[in-house]
Amino acid sequence: MKKRTGASTVLIQRGCSALATTSVGSIDFPQRKAARLRFQDRRRLFLIALAVPAVVYVVLIALWPLAQGIWYSFFDYNLLRGGGRRTFVGLANYAELWTDSTARRALINTFVFTFAAVALEFVFGLCLALLLWREGRFNRICLAFLLIPVTITPVVVGLIFRALLAVDYGFFGYYLAEWGISGPRGFLASTSAALPVVILIDVWEWTPLVALILLAGLKSLPGDILEAASADGATALQRFRLVVLPLLLPTVFLALVLRVMDAFRVFDIIFVTTGGGPGDATNSLMVYGVKQGLQFFNIGFASAIGNVAILCIAVLCAAFTLLIRRADVRANET
Amino acid sequence: MKARTRQIAIERTTLVVILALYMIPVLWLVSTAYKPPREIFSSPPSFTFSPTLFNFERIFQLFDVWQLLKSSIVMSLGTTVLSLLLGVPAGYALARSKSRYAIVVAYFFLAIRTVPIIATLIPFYLMMRDIGLLGTWWAVILINTTLNCAFVTWMMFSYFRALPRDMEEAALTDGCTLWGAFYRVALPTVVPGIIASALFCIMFSWNDFLTPMFLTNSDTKPLSVALLASFGTKDITWGTLGALAHFSTVPIVLMALFLNRYFVQGLTKGVH
Repeated sequence: MKKRTGASTVLIQRGCSALATTSVGSIDFPQRKAARLRFQDRRRLFLIALAVPAVVYVVLIALWPLAQGIWYSFFDYNLLRGGGRRTFVGLANYAELWTDSTARRALINTFVFTFAAVALEFVFGLCLALLLWREGRFNRICLAFLLIPVTITPVVVGLIFRALLAVDYGFFGYYLAEWGISGPRGFLASTSAALPVVILIDVWEWTPLVALILLAGLKSLPGDILEAASADGATALQRFRLVVLPLLLPTVFLALVLRVMDAFRVFDIIFVTTGGGPGDATNSLMVYGVKQGLQFFNIGFASAIGNVAILCIAVLCAAFTLLIRRADVRANET
Repeated sequence: MKARTRQIAIERTTLVVILALYMIPVLWLVSTAYKPPREIFSSPPSFTFSPTLFNFERIFQLFDVWQLLKSSIVMSLGTTVLSLLLGVPAGYALARSKSRYAIVVAYFFLAIRTVPIIATLIPFYLMMRDIGLLGTWWAVILINTTLNCAFVTWMMFSYFRALPRDMEEAALTDGCTLWGAFYRVALPTVVPGIIASALFCIMFSWNDFLTPMFLTNSDTKPLSVALLASFGTKDITWGTLGALAHFSTVPIVLMALFLNRYFVQGLTKGVH
């Protein structure tokens, strides 16, 4: 329905503009018509001139390296071995991503990390946003404090938690080890606990961001609908489930997509706290890719890792868009 | 009415408790910087300490703090200025263009923003090595500007699109030049958007760690890299690290606190 009205207005607009140009042309003002056309052309050229620098820049500095990365990923290309000679190997680098157990672990870890972190951040963020919904100075001050974790340098966040979790003097780590919860070497050195702990650090850092986005969404909700719902005797839970949540859906989508994209690219926190270890327990695609590419200079394989990361992010974003569209349709039907 | 005040009281207590728990890591970082070295490593951890500025004196002996700060500032400002210069006009052009392809180009910029840096960093590293820019501030500015300029373009695209065209059209019929319509009519009305974009660019490049770690050398490295690189050497304690972390976090945190409003604006407009 929506589409059809859109198409018909476009048609009407086109018809009008066609009428307008013919009428101008028929009322013999040939020079003026020419001047008008020239103005439209000039305007188009002006806009193109404004956009070209950014487009050229991004194509040169982002797209060209990306294309090179795709090209390199089909080669056995190592700067430290064989004098940096390239041998075409087809899809072998991509196959290695699955056959190499470290790479496979990194891929799985990245997905686990992304889903667990984003799910927790969403749940906690929504609770925080609902708590902060009421207008007032108190809530504004709380909000300001919540900005702090988001703005702290991620490297520093990693270092803080590394210190807090240290078993011999850390604020948390000492007691966790003392009371036998974490084992004598601490959570970050345990193969089973390291990944959950790293996820929790990410949750600590980014939950406020999700809360901020959701809060902005909550504040832009139309107040009269909420009042009408409570006047009709809807309980708080009903209001939330039937009114707030469906209206908040676009914002939820925004927050989730933003976080999924960033969580999938996680590097700093993991690199600083565990460096991907112990063993491969917290290795992620980014950490592994950086190690392969810029420490072992295994360019071909690292490029394949990067390309797979791009592909995964694209698929995740597409999946989210589809899901949200379906949810949107369902919300409109009811 | 009474139920309402009680509900507010419950809400506020919950918030205070959450915030208090939440701030422990931050407080730890701040307090560590003022602890004498012996007390940081006391086991079990001690909660009281005699404050000292020893750690701050120490970092000036151990690091060239001003050089590190300068690197961080040059790289983040360079990235921000370049991104705004490229991104703001592009955002305007895409918002005002009647072409069908404008939206495609806008989505192209959005897609560039989502690319994981690892995919471009390795070829970019080789490229910089070949043209001799490896180890310079330029290398970091150049690569960070791609993501940031894409971000600014998309953000300004949504700001300009929300702006009615009438004023510009009126200015144009009154004989204003095309550049004037952009620079003197449209641009002043989107200043909040420009501030929000700049804020995010500065924050992103100031906190960035991965690109400068590989693209700068010991003379050009920023604070974020120095923080980790210095870690593990003998002279560095958590105290000195905490003191150094002050320099890398305080400017950004303060900026975000004061420009709070723009920060939230940027969040909600940035990826719509």
